[in-house]
Amino acid sequence: MTSTAEPEVGRARLRKEDARLITGRTRWTDNMVLPGMLHMALLRSPMAHARITKIDTTAAREMPGVIAVVTGQDLAEEQGSLPCAWPITEDMKAPDAPAMAVEQVNFAGEAVAAVIARSKAEADDALESIDIDYDELPVVLDMAAAIADGADLVHENLGTNRCATWVYDSAEAGSGGAIDDAIAGAEVVVERTYRQQRLIPAFMEPRSMLVDPTGDQITMWSATQIPHILRWMTAAVTGVPESKIRVIAPDVGGGFGGKLQVTPEEIITFLMAKRLGKPVKYTESRSESLASAHHGRDQIQKLTLAADRDGTLRGLKVELLADMGAYLRLVSPGVPILGAFMFNAIYKMDAYKFVCTNVFTNKTPTDAYRGAGRPEATFGIERMMDELAAELSMDPMELRRKNWITHDEFPFTTVAGLTYDSGDYESATDKAMETFGYDALRAEQQERRDRNDAIQLGIGISTYTEMCGLAPSRVLGALRYAAGGWEHAAIRMLPTGKVELVTGTSPHGQGHETAWSQIVADQLGVPFEDVEVLHGDTQSSVRGMDSYGSRSLAVGGTAIVLAAQRVLAKARKVAAHMMECAEDDVDFTPGTFSVKGTDRGVALADVVVHAHVAHDLPDGVEATLDSDATFDPENFSFPHGTHLCAAEVDTETGRVRLRSYVCVDDVGKAVNPMIVEGQVHGGIAQGVAQALFEEAVHDESGTLTTGTLADYLVPSAADLPSFDTSRTETPATTNPLGVKGVGEAGTIASTPAVVNAIVDALRHRGVNDVEMPCTPMRVWSAIQAGGAR
Amino acid sequence: MKPFAYTRAHTVWDAVAAVSAEPGARYLAGGTEMVNLVREGQESPDRLVDIGDLPLTEVRVHGRGVRIGALAKRVHEHPEVRRRLPVLAEAGLSAASPQVRNVATPGGNLLQRTRCHYFRDVRFPCNRREPGTGCAALRGVNRNNAIFGGSEHCVAVHPSDIAVALTALDAVVHTHGPAGERVIPVEELYRLPGDEPNRETVLDHGELIVAIDVPPTPFAARSHYLKLRDRASFAFALVSVAVALDVRAGVTHDVRIALGGVAPRPWRARAAEDALRGRRFDDDARAAAGEAATTGAKPLPHNEFKVELVRRAVVRALSEVEGR
Ligand SMILES: Cc1cc2nc3c(=O)[nH]c(=O)nc-3n(C[C@H](O)[C@H](O)[C@H](O)COP(=O)(O)OP(=O)(O)OC[C@H]3O[C@@H](n4cnc5c(N)ncnc54)[C@H](O)[C@@H]3O)c2cc1C
Repeated sequence: MTSTAEPEVGRARLRKEDARLITGRTRWTDNMVLPGMLHMALLRSPMAHARITKIDTTAAREMPGVIAVVTGQDLAEEQGSLPCAWPITEDMKAPDAPAMAVEQVNFAGEAVAAVIARSKAEADDALESIDIDYDELPVVLDMAAAIADGADLVHENLGTNRCATWVYDSAEAGSGGAIDDAIAGAEVVVERTYRQQRLIPAFMEPRSMLVDPTGDQITMWSATQIPHILRWMTAAVTGVPESKIRVIAPDVGGGFGGKLQVTPEEIITFLMAKRLGKPVKYTESRSESLASAHHGRDQIQKLTLAADRDGTLRGLKVELLADMGAYLRLVSPGVPILGAFMFNAIYKMDAYKFVCTNVFTNKTPTDAYRGAGRPEATFGIERMMDELAAELSMDPMELRRKNWITHDEFPFTTVAGLTYDSGDYESATDKAMETFGYDALRAEQQERRDRNDAIQLGIGISTYTEMCGLAPSRVLGALRYAAGGWEHAAIRMLPTGKVELVTGTSPHGQGHETAWSQIVADQLGVPFEDVEVLHGDTQSSVRGMDSYGSRSLAVGGTAIVLAAQRVLAKARKVAAHMMECAEDDVDFTPGTFSVKGTDRGVALADVVVHAHVAHDLPDGVEATLDSDATFDPENFSFPHGTHLCAAEVDTETGRVRLRSYVCVDDVGKAVNPMIVEGQVHGGIAQGVAQALFEEAVHDESGTLTTGTLADYLVPSAADLPSFDTSRTETPATTNPLGVKGVGEAGTIASTPAVVNAIVDALRHRGVNDVEMPCTPMRVWSAIQAGGAR
Repeated sequence: MKPFAYTRAHTVWDAVAAVSAEPGARYLAGGTEMVNLVREGQESPDRLVDIGDLPLTEVRVHGRGVRIGALAKRVHEHPEVRRRLPVLAEAGLSAASPQVRNVATPGGNLLQRTRCHYFRDVRFPCNRREPGTGCAALRGVNRNNAIFGGSEHCVAVHPSDIAVALTALDAVVHTHGPAGERVIPVEELYRLPGDEPNRETVLDHGELIVAIDVPPTPFAARSHYLKLRDRASFAFALVSVAVALDVRAGVTHDVRIALGGVAPRPWRARAAEDALRGRRFDDDARAAAGEAATTGAKPLPHNEFKVELVRRAVVRALSEVEGR
């Protein structure tokens, strides 16, 4: 390795994990087979709200291959209550959340019984022989109705469907003025109500788990994003000491937040394996996954934006209803709260107030889904900016320019109390506008309007930011979150010259093995190929807070840099000893130590061996160069960017065709631009999916009618245009890599860009909103209603 | 899932005999539909007779048109089908996904069951699945259901794309049954639900489709399939239109228009055809055909949009085929 080699960080390397993932020569949880392994199947409630009056499992027990049949009653003593780690207020109402329903079911899809059998087919068959009677209870589906006086209750014992109300008021917090004054004093006030429909994370690999109780430790393989948290919480829920539990997340096929969960299925499988003393596996079907894995979004947003006639923003009031579904899962109540700091986005204003009421309904619980709270907020404010621009007859980009934080104003403390360390909205926007051909598109739009063309053109803008790098532990503490936000990395310098990096992050599609290798290679001057990244096993990765919230690089990547610095600090001592010089005289160029001003040097590889055999170490230096570090960020990171979408709307059929999509994202330093691009592409697709296609629909009985991928419309490449993605690089100042995170950017930005484009295409026909997903029917109905006005 | 016996048939007669002999026996072709139905409980056969080995896989062009074996795979890729029967090639390509199309057969496609949510979700009452239990779709989310041909007992739509194309091509199916051989026009293969929605086709128990025949017609070559759906691939039609046109000297000599996604069977829009026949094939005529295509529509609470969609889709399909 020579010091002239091209740095690894910044190279668009192919991902090293892809060969095994693409060829299937890898371990997914469901592939694993252990000796004596049993299979579990779950019976799920068809009712959204009912009391269980009878369960008869006699016939099922006698079915071939069946080892055990259990009901919620049988597990009641052991199963505890599933954890909610984010009690957002002191008086938050939290229902008991049994892994398996005991007396009452509260959403359709809730587990009511389990069969363990020798084969999966036998377990499935036996489910049909379980006889259950339900006494139906009134179903609570609509949030507004749920919090009205005299509403039917999801949880009778809580006495209300209101879970909690959380408030941020800039006047109280001292980050700005009073919202009522701002509204009263403003020349223009725009009020809108938007619906963030319920979405399903729809990860490709269904949730799968295998628990092996053989030996002293119980081992749980799970397709999870959070092996470390899962281990902790499984101990907390079941009372089994954490030291007796090992959790392994092998290769995991997607999550999008959907596997940031401690699931009922994991707890039930764990308890059954423990009880039977045999390995037990459970893998859900696609329809089970869609109905019972947690959902995302689902908010009603009432927004009031106040401004002066010249476009200067005065204040923003946000009143939310957020649907928790039937139970509080791991971070359910906190998801909308993450949006509290983002509704003001990149804009300056005098006053801000955010009030969110979390509501229980008889639906699948909601929790984190790609962006978690921030897409909802970005959608709200970016739609409102367009509405205000229309109200003022101003160009929507002009309005944004007028109000955003300019690049010379950073660091900037916002009206929501966060300090944005860096950003350059002007550069990203200028670059995007140029590629997009904004002016030419506006001219074409006018021309189509003038000749009343059946195909109308709209331009949608989204100038977003997000808070990433979750999260400074002290901020989490202040927000009443139960855990920290640090991350851990350990580097093992093997005597054969290879390097093992152990990370506390838990990749499930992101490419950490590649990106982390690039970072280590640069830090230590070792070949990329020589770095092995270990993750996801609580026995080797002893500490970690796992992957979600665009945190892995900004927090976990920084821990790697710190650990590498410790390796080098130790190596420097050993190298000085080997070269018989003072430590201060040692120079390090990647891969080699030398004595300043001489040609004497030793290779890092030799220092590694020297430290490992430990035959001759300086006093006070321990054997091996292995080092670890834990990083707790001081602040969030704030990726931003400008997304522009041109949409053609067929006014005859309501069909929307995205003609072009241009985005310039600033995610700070890109460790691997190809991975960044992949994340942006996938993210945009998922955000477009919310704008145009996806929605979890329940009928009056609370049954999910979009319970298969034929009905829940995850779009394919055929539905999307080719995206023009590029970047500006304004380094974050809060971590040594200058990175910000990119996992959620595309999803956060694209939804409002698309909807703004649709509304923009139809505004001259009297349309100022189309509810998502903007299906042909909804668009068409909006045109009819608009024309009628 | 109820256990069932499995038999592989080696000749048409073996197959017919095996299914005819047992009321609970069913054919299994590609299995892309049947296996799902069995697993999800909409069907619980006592025996599946696998017809995958039968020599019914050919697509053959002969003097009397194109004969498509009931087990021919990926018919839409066949060069003669693409050339002579564009509407069929387009309909076939628009169906399902590449993976499904690799396995699925035309016979199975014609006899697939409805995608009505309340038929597919066995927790709901459904007259089609369990006669006499009621129709949950009438009061449920019925956005995807029928606007033509439904009854108070059932408003399901037939999901096949190729059945719509074949209807516009005057195609017939050849069957072998316990009572011998028959030829049935595709359009007449399906029964409207009436008060017996569980009787979906005119086929007898054990009657096997062996081939589909598309006769030579002056309108087949100038034909087109327009499918409107919620996403660009892997989705069933909200509304689809198959048009086949014979225009001579600017005047419509003959025409077929069939609609999909709107009725319990491919819906021949005869009034729309009449609006075109013998008239100049121009914008006015197409608009009149679009209007006429909606004649008799009875939308449900959630699918009123389909009426307008039919009107516009017919106009568009006719405009798109004009240039061919
Ligand atoms: C995810 C998905 C998406 C789909 N999307 C579409 C779509 O967009 N458009 C569309 O048109 N279709 C679609 N389909 C349906 C698909 O085309 C059918 O499943 C397929 O054509 C059935 O053929 P098969 O050979 O697999 O039939 P099988 O599953 O083997 O059989 C289906 C039925 O037909 C009977 N049968 C089969 N062959 C014969 C025969 N020769 N004689 C008598 N009875 C017979 C069987 O007994 C059974 O009842 C989709 C299917 C899936 C799974």
